[in-house]
Amino acid sequence: MNQLLEKLSACVEFGKIDIKSPYPPSMKDQEGAFELTRSALDAGISPGEILEEALIPAMSRVGQKFSRNEIFVPQMLMAAKAMSSSMTHIRPYYLSGETKRKGTFIIGTVTGDLHDIGKNLVAMMIEGAGWEIIDLGVDVSVDKFIDAAEKHPGAVVGLSALLTTTMENMRRTVATLKEKFPHLRILVGGAPVTTEFCEKIGADYYSPDPQGAVDYLSALVR
Amino acid sequence: MGYPAGKAPGHLTALIAEVFEELMPLEEIRAEYRIFDDIAIDPEAGTLKVQEVTFNPGRTVSGQIREAEKAALFVCTAGATVSDRSRRRIPDDDLLKLYVYDVTGTMVVEKAADMMLHELRRKMEAGGCRITNRFSPGYCGWDLAEQHKLFSFFRNNYCGVTLSESALMKPVKSVSGIIGIGREVRFAPYNCSLCDDKNCLYRGRKT
Repeated sequence: MNQLLEKLSACVEFGKIDIKSPYPPSMKDQEGAFELTRSALDAGISPGEILEEALIPAMSRVGQKFSRNEIFVPQMLMAAKAMSSSMTHIRPYYLSGETKRKGTFIIGTVTGDLHDIGKNLVAMMIEGAGWEIIDLGVDVSVDKFIDAAEKHPGAVVGLSALLTTTMENMRRTVATLKEKFPHLRILVGGAPVTTEFCEKIGADYYSPDPQGAVDYLSALVR
Repeated sequence: MGYPAGKAPGHLTALIAEVFEELMPLEEIRAEYRIFDDIAIDPEAGTLKVQEVTFNPGRTVSGQIREAEKAALFVCTAGATVSDRSRRRIPDDDLLKLYVYDVTGTMVVEKAADMMLHELRRKMEAGGCRITNRFSPGYCGWDLAEQHKLFSFFRNNYCGVTLSESALMKPVKSVSGIIGIGREVRFAPYNCSLCDDKNCLYRGRKT
């Protein structure tokens, strides 16, 4: 792989955001994901190559380490932030149409639930995997999900819940969305959610971690 | 945050110290409660009646407070500052710092509620009564929507906390709930064996 992309990939994996970022200490005073992405584009590397060869593999490694309990949420957030700083250079290519998104992913925490850290992590990782993110935020009503699904035909929807008591709202949201859009694919996640619950409420997929959601979406467009 | 003791990265511990420094002296912490003696508990039905309002906290909670002669309905908040700082929107903010604010806010409000519980225990014991642990809508299968019933006992902006239509408190780093009071009640630590909620976030967690 191109040396620049290799370095960029390492910056994302270890959460080196930009040159000012003092973390991780082993990369102090070195260029981070922000600068290296700019350099890669200036060197003629396409946004697609940057995504496919640097960002996506880096976030995949991060996701796998998280799944294996080798790293925890703070390190995931650092990596996601580094990736997000890289995406500031990539996004304009999506907007101009020069680089194509893999699809649209609508995400939100269900009504009655304000928890958003897991939801944000999933959103960032999926964006890093090449999807457009429509983040509806937290405490999202069914009507807001319906509006978003109508505005973005073909989108996949992700629902998050952290409380066992808001899982009922997740069930209602899935039921209403499926009734209105029978072919809509819905992913569910959050600490209390399980595969059994996912199947019971008629959602299409449950992942215990962000990487699983990325893998599922990647399989959809492969 | 998941790290074994002493294993958190150095920059994270430094950031936690920075957040603590910013938040001190935490002057917005507040806790208030109202005590009612007109109560009726049906552990079999999983209900609790306070004056004319019937709550459905479920059998786990009602069983824990079954011997109560009175009930304290409480609200406790860590305040707007830590709550708001943990809720700023991405992508412009420092995600890791937001996370530290979020975890800190949760820790602060939980500790504050424990202190309120301690203070209530001290007062009740002086009168020969004991108290139960505290129980909140949203946990142990108690429907979050019953927050509306709970808040019907409080004046507007009680303890500086308001309730949204979807039963969420503002500031977000707040807890509300009920504590049983009586001569025969028992204080039981939170124990997963008491509860049949297999999907609970806190199940199996050592506190």
